[in-house]
Amino acid sequence: MKNKILNIKSLSKSYGAFKVTDEITIDLHFDEIHALIGPNGAGKSTLIKQIVGSVKHDIGSIILDQEDITDLTDIERAKIGISRTFQVSSIIPQFSAIDNIILSLLDKSNKTFQLFKSVKNNKELYLNAKIILKEIELLEKRDISASDLSHGDRRKLEVGLALAMDPKVFLFDEPMAGLDENGTKMMINLFKKIKSNSPILLIEHDMEAVFALADRVSVINYGKIVATGTVDEIRKNELVRDVYLGYEI
Amino acid sequence: MIVEKIFNKWILFFLFLIPILGFVFEEPYYITLTTKVVILGIAGVGLNLALGYCGLISFGHAAFFGLGGYVTGILSFHAMNSELMFSWPFVTSGSSEMLVIWPIVILLSAFLALIIGFLSLRTTGVYFIMITLAFAQMLYFFAISWPNYGGEDGLSIYMRNSLPMVNTMDPLTFYVICLFWLLLVIFISAKLINSSFGMAFQAIKQNEERVKSVGIETFKVKLLVFVISGTITGLAGSLYTDLNRFISPSVLNWQMSGEIMVFVILGGIARLYGPLVGAAFFIVLEQTLGSYTENWQFWLGLILILEILYVRSGILSLFEKKLKYEK
Repeated sequence: MKNKILNIKSLSKSYGAFKVTDEITIDLHFDEIHALIGPNGAGKSTLIKQIVGSVKHDIGSIILDQEDITDLTDIERAKIGISRTFQVSSIIPQFSAIDNIILSLLDKSNKTFQLFKSVKNNKELYLNAKIILKEIELLEKRDISASDLSHGDRRKLEVGLALAMDPKVFLFDEPMAGLDENGTKMMINLFKKIKSNSPILLIEHDMEAVFALADRVSVINYGKIVATGTVDEIRKNELVRDVYLGYEI
Repeated sequence: MIVEKIFNKWILFFLFLIPILGFVFEEPYYITLTTKVVILGIAGVGLNLALGYCGLISFGHAAFFGLGGYVTGILSFHAMNSELMFSWPFVTSGSSEMLVIWPIVILLSAFLALIIGFLSLRTTGVYFIMITLAFAQMLYFFAISWPNYGGEDGLSIYMRNSLPMVNTMDPLTFYVICLFWLLLVIFISAKLINSSFGMAFQAIKQNEERVKSVGIETFKVKLLVFVISGTITGLAGSLYTDLNRFISPSVLNWQMSGEIMVFVILGGIARLYGPLVGAAFFIVLEQTLGSYTENWQFWLGLILILEILYVRSGILSLFEKKLKYEK
């Protein structure tokens, strides 16, 4: 238990008779990247939404760093250290890249309710935001409106928003979707670097990236975890090859 | 944006120039008209914070405008008639001192906005519009059914409330008082918009789900914006009562909420001086078209349709574009 920072037990969610997630039990260790793979519609993103609290689960429990967060709201969960990216880029379109990052820094630095001090004059916030932008290779584009960024840069900015929160765990939902080779390499290196501070639960369809990054992989199909193991174990698993990977990998 | 700043300076210049011309040419009517523009502009600046910058489409800001107006009227009414307002739990008489009335109006408007906001901000979209409208309509019908303060006929106050060492009955003096408040609320709005709090509420307008995901308590942020917005509009209501020396339930009606919204949309949503320009445009239309036809609002409707179709960012954006071409 002690080496688990996130422990999800029997998490279930149904819409009518359709079970989106069915008694999912999964955990995340310190210093680890745990990838969650599976076909489209398997329930991966719904699981993320249940962990962050934006979708209410029917039964089950969520323990973060030995604290039961099952009954906390989505905002409370974000405050105590769950940081996510969205499957479809969800940024503040009319804000510049740096302002998006600053927004993500506000709560941690207790500046949300600073009513009259100009945010532009807050050197500390800008400095911290620039550090994050450098990590995600967007420093040069910091003043560009987020809506004018390319798809790949928006994916990077998504990750930057999550990084800025300095959370206990990251939940990344397809962060590399649509990235070019350099962008994917950058993300892989970044994730390897940050996982020692904050472990990552990673949903990703790019299997090369998953196999390069993951310490463990879980496979979800029809809302159920069908296998969990190391990359090698998952690659050799017949059931996983049947339901998702196929036989060419 | 720089061009808009230049235009804003022109607006300020006219705000100083028009009443001076009215004074020089002994036309107090124009001073009073500009005062009305300034007061309605204040109400619009208040709504603009909630609607323009935070995306809260309140259709009930007449509640705050009317409350400010009625509190001012009632306090003044009791003071001028030397009647007690109530004797329990403590003896309270009215007041005709603006320095007493304003803080009371500010506190009560903030309190009302806190209650309305606390309940209505649990909803979004059309439900939020309807619930804010419902609150304002409740107050409207309450005012109509309250005979002590004139009921449907409204309440007259004989003298404008007073300020130490100042003759508030003088149109130019009262204009300066209103202009002071306008500049103050614009200054406060500008400060808020540029603060980290402002960053949070402007982000909520664009993507509330994202703002929640970074740990910002969006309900609290929206509630505070709503309270500040309602308070500013309440203050405008107080000045409006003093301008007319009369208050009636009509200022609590949904039409008033609609008019304040029109000021914001006409001038330019989420533009600092937009509501003021919108209010000025509205009053000019009322005065010019109103002299030809009683149904001048037909033309206002047409203008609104054209604006929403072709100049969605408001009158200010139109000038911005023209100036850009001239460069």
